[in-house]
Amino acid sequence: MTSLGRILLVEDDPKDTELTLTALEEYNLTNEVVVTADGEQALDYLYCRGKFQTRTNGNPAVLLLDLKLPKVDGLEVLQQVKSDEKLKMIPVVVLTSSREERDMVASYKLGVNAYVVKPVDFHEFVNAIKELGVFWAIINEPPPGSIRKR
Amino acid sequence: MPQGKPSISKIPAAVQRYGLAVLSVAIALATALLLERYNFRGVEFPLFLMAIAVTVWYAGIGPAILALVLSSLTFNYFFTEPIHTLYVTRSDFPYYVMFILFALLLTWFSAIRRRVERELLQSRDELQREVTVRTQQASLLDLTHDTIFVRDMSDVVTYWNRGAQELYGWAAEEAVGKNSHQLLSTVFPMPIDQIQAELLRTGRWEGELEKTKADGARVVVASRWSLRRDHQERPVAILETNNDITQRKRGEEEVRKLNQELGKRTIELEASNNELEAFAYSISHDLRAPLRHMVGFTELLHKNASSIVDDKGHRYMTMILESAKRMGTLIDDLLAFSRIGRTETRETMVSLEQIVQEIQGEVLQETDGRTINWKVGPLPDLRGDRSMLKLVLVNLVSNAVKFTRTRPQPEIEIGCTEKRKDGVVLFVRDNGVGFDMKYVNKLFGVFQRLHRAEEFEGTGIGLATVQRIIHRHGGRVWAEGLVDSGATFYLSLPTP
Repeated sequence: MTSLGRILLVEDDPKDTELTLTALEEYNLTNEVVVTADGEQALDYLYCRGKFQTRTNGNPAVLLLDLKLPKVDGLEVLQQVKSDEKLKMIPVVVLTSSREERDMVASYKLGVNAYVVKPVDFHEFVNAIKELGVFWAIINEPPPGSIRKR
Repeated sequence: MPQGKPSISKIPAAVQRYGLAVLSVAIALATALLLERYNFRGVEFPLFLMAIAVTVWYAGIGPAILALVLSSLTFNYFFTEPIHTLYVTRSDFPYYVMFILFALLLTWFSAIRRRVERELLQSRDELQREVTVRTQQASLLDLTHDTIFVRDMSDVVTYWNRGAQELYGWAAEEAVGKNSHQLLSTVFPMPIDQIQAELLRTGRWEGELEKTKADGARVVVASRWSLRRDHQERPVAILETNNDITQRKRGEEEVRKLNQELGKRTIELEASNNELEAFAYSISHDLRAPLRHMVGFTELLHKNASSIVDDKGHRYMTMILESAKRMGTLIDDLLAFSRIGRTETRETMVSLEQIVQEIQGEVLQETDGRTINWKVGPLPDLRGDRSMLKLVLVNLVSNAVKFTRTRPQPEIEIGCTEKRKDGVVLFVRDNGVGFDMKYVNKLFGVFQRLHRAEEFEGTGIGLATVQRIIHRHGGRVWAEGLVDSGATFYLSLPTP
């Protein structure tokens, strides 16, 4: 393992967060995960403002984004990220309960890099999260300027 | 009195006329001579004038002049001195001039009077001819079934044709002389003043009027008014033609009402569709999350606490997991089912044979190594939404595979029984456990199941999905079955 990209997880449901983190933990991918509970916080993180004013600069290697979020929802975050010159290179993976076609279409239209429906089955869920984490945080070469742990 | 009009019509007219002149003079002479014999003197003068007058009256100026000449000569010969000569004495000369002038005057007056009378007669004849033509024209108007009537400027009916009688039920004798608007209780779509103004300005008006028949029934007519003016351009009459459009109006009104109703229904349908959409969306997002948590944390519990939980606890956890998974499947199936109604169909030419081949490959895993005897007949290509039609066949074939599980030699037959111009009928037949025809109506309902979950798994949404898709394609589904003797599912699909 050469380096581990930072994962920004945007998830409002603490139970889902815990399950996701548990899944990542199984594969030792948790030490570079930042969790934000809504779209506003996620944007604060990406723009280094609010409570993230003092964080080290640099973009996460991947953004795991739930769609149904309080305040600013996932699609709005996605739109903001993909229309900002500095942020648009961040790979965004939508991680959602919904298999609704219109969510998928809207996400792909906005330029999402992957769309993953959270499986109900726990083993499948863990497997999906693991694959995501391994792929985006380890295998994938993130765009220049991303935060990486050597 | 000389009355000398010859009645022999064979004699030429000119001879008749001049003959009359001679005859009337002769009668006047004879009368004068006869009277002279009884010592009546001086009557010859008015008698000859009378003869001339009669001649001019009945025979015209030419014969009158002949009568004048003859009268003068006979007068001279028989009544003035010297008698029986044509010699005129100097003293008689003014007498002659006076006679001739008087006769000429009489002739002239008579001629004028005659001309006037002739002209009068001529115009009377012309008038009669015109009346005949007009009467014929009027009776022509009676031939038409269109309603035509004429009213004067104070709306009193002056003409009323048969069409008017047929439409309104009033005979011409009843209608003529009455105010047409009062007679028919006409309802105008706009103030009558405006209509009159337009009529006077342009000479015509047309519009829809509501009128009442003699029996009280209301009719809607398309009415056209034409203004008639006299030679001094004064408006004198209005010709009105009416066409009964009551039926058409009623039809239009019905169509309008139906459209309105349809519009309302469409809006309601849209609203309920939107609600369904929102409902499905929230199910999709919100209902699955807690299930995932239940499953997730139970699994974690199972894994982390296996040493402290006894067998019973493990069994409970397994049951929680199974129920949650089943709930997940139900939700997914329900969402898929509702999606069929909500998504647009994408129609292309679909090869059913190709679809069946694909499905045969896919259901191999479900057959658990059993060998199924497939009989696939020739299947048509038809227009439809490929993914939906595939879902139909997947459901039917999976059912067939599932319900033949207990059979030592499962058989599944897929074919096409009818291929007509307007549609095809397909069927999927199996030799599985079948069903009781008593419950055939429940077969296609959502979550309706005819078998216990332990016998055959399933959510009971498959056939509901099949029916919904086929309905969306404008087709029909039905089934035949017998307990323990298999089932056949039929689909009719229209072909354009």
